[in-house]
Amino acid sequence: MTGYAQLDLAASVGQILPELVATAAFLLAVVVDLVSRRRKEAVCAVVLAGCIAGLVLSLAQLKAGQSLIFAGMAAADPLAAILKAVVFLATGLVALFSLGSPEIRMSGRGEYYSLLLVVAVGACFMASAMNFVMVYLATELVTVTSCILVAHAKDDRRASEAALKYILFGAAASGVMIYGISLLYGATGTLSLTGVSRALVSGQVPGLVAVLGVVFVLAGIGYKIAAVPFHFWCPDVYEGAPTPITAFLSIVPEAAGFGLLIRVYMLGFGERMGQGWAAAASLDWPSLLAVVSALTMTLGNLGALHQTNLKRLMAYSSIAHAGYILMGFVALSKTGLNAMIIYIIVYLFMNLGVFAVLIGLSRRLASDQIASFRGLGGRAKFPAFAMTVFLFSLTGIPPLAGFTGKFYLFAAVIDAKIYWLAIVGALNSVVSLYYYVRIIKAMYIEAGETEGGPIQLPALYTALLVALVVPTVVLGIFWGPLAGMTEASLRFLF
Amino acid sequence: MQYDLVAVLVFMVVGVALLAFILALSRLLQPRDPNPAKLTTYECGEQPVGPAWIQFNIRFYVMALVFVIFDVEVVFLFPWAVVFQKLGLFAFVEMMVFLGILLVGLAYVWRNGDIEWVKPLPGPAALEDEKGAR
Repeated sequence: MTGYAQLDLAASVGQILPELVATAAFLLAVVVDLVSRRRKEAVCAVVLAGCIAGLVLSLAQLKAGQSLIFAGMAAADPLAAILKAVVFLATGLVALFSLGSPEIRMSGRGEYYSLLLVVAVGACFMASAMNFVMVYLATELVTVTSCILVAHAKDDRRASEAALKYILFGAAASGVMIYGISLLYGATGTLSLTGVSRALVSGQVPGLVAVLGVVFVLAGIGYKIAAVPFHFWCPDVYEGAPTPITAFLSIVPEAAGFGLLIRVYMLGFGERMGQGWAAAASLDWPSLLAVVSALTMTLGNLGALHQTNLKRLMAYSSIAHAGYILMGFVALSKTGLNAMIIYIIVYLFMNLGVFAVLIGLSRRLASDQIASFRGLGGRAKFPAFAMTVFLFSLTGIPPLAGFTGKFYLFAAVIDAKIYWLAIVGALNSVVSLYYYVRIIKAMYIEAGETEGGPIQLPALYTALLVALVVPTVVLGIFWGPLAGMTEASLRFLF
Repeated sequence: MQYDLVAVLVFMVVGVALLAFILALSRLLQPRDPNPAKLTTYECGEQPVGPAWIQFNIRFYVMALVFVIFDVEVVFLFPWAVVFQKLGLFAFVEMMVFLGILLVGLAYVWRNGDIEWVKPLPGPAALEDEKGAR
């Protein structure tokens, strides 16, 4: 891999400013939590400041060129920078979501806010890892810390069950991944992604070892992005976790996981071929990923059809969306990766939007069941409208942001001449319309209890919804600057 | 590539065979003369008191975790101190940052009463939760 400048230790520190600031904010948050026992909003403010600083510093790295830092452990490049920005934006929004959520307990609230930042830092390193040790460490940091967040409500049995399932699945997946890494290390003698790629290309790695290594590493990454067949934890964890954490899990580990996928598979298991990329040696992992992508979206969408609980439905929906995003990766082209990044950003707004409605209304809704949304269209006009926008956007109906994202994804797949995958994707989008519209139908057409009168959304959530609806609509009409930015961030790879 | 793995197979077979051989040899050669003192559990030369399968206080667990953190800290500090002169300012700052982070951790367990054997009563936050639950 050419084009990466190796930086020495002291210079490397300057390249991880977003992570450093977030870590400092985390430590400060812990101290603030210790000093002020009752007012946990102060901790949230520190965490928010950390996220904003991280976001700004990440965006500043967009044009900073590309370099290998800390002896090749991680990379500082535009791809990492844009994913870090996504991570910090999502973390900040989730911290805001949590402020008014009744599910966040008083005891452990300080830990809750501060640990959000730890996951964010781990996700940043996932997005920039260039060495398998870093890949593993960052993935574990995210998994273990997310687990604590899932188990925030200590005495809630469903939350404990969710956390246990999450950690057990995570342990199994990362165990398989590290076994794959050990095989690759044994065969290549190096842990750096580019070194592994060189060894695979030179053909010195026995075929079986290479195949096992490449497939086993997918287990760890697939677990993070909830791809079939590593998706089983997803519905239970989404349902059991506090809703803000469900929202958090649907974006932050997923975005970082896709960053990891791009890095590990393209730089580690691929080689540059002229203007594009191809699988290194004789491994046909793009075809494997194409099958995984088709299975993921199909199983996700079929699983969502019969859900009555909104959080479970969103779990299957996020599995399906992981499948869509994978579609862009299979193309292995600039347009494909560009489509992935655009979709992740668009997905951030629309998916967090759905959860924002759910959290904002949670004090007034009887449960997370879709049935409790009945008649909401008349009682809570703006939240119901926002929900409709987000759900239509998730389906991919123009002129909303989800359409832009899907358009780019399908264009990339068709461009790469993988027509069957495009057809599977299109059919899946049609299926998804059914279950998203079921929620809209419950809100507007089915009669619900009206005795509660109109529901007033807290001002914080009204503001958050506006902040999420606007990009969801605007990016569906005017996405040029976003696409330009993401494309520029990928130019170094092609 | 099949032949590459032969070495692993040989290693496994020889490993198992060697172990079996050594155990059998010691079985053949050893004098067997057990007495009660020889059969007791080894506890650093102390007389064992009671069975090992008893319920331990859960507080040991937290203490052990806290101990491990500071144990590891010392393991890092030793090599650093040995080559401190050569490493210069950068390493000094780095170690101070590391110690600072651990210090925050110590403050955390201290404030939460995790290093006191008798843990203080739950704080106002926990009581508020209980009120909400009822």
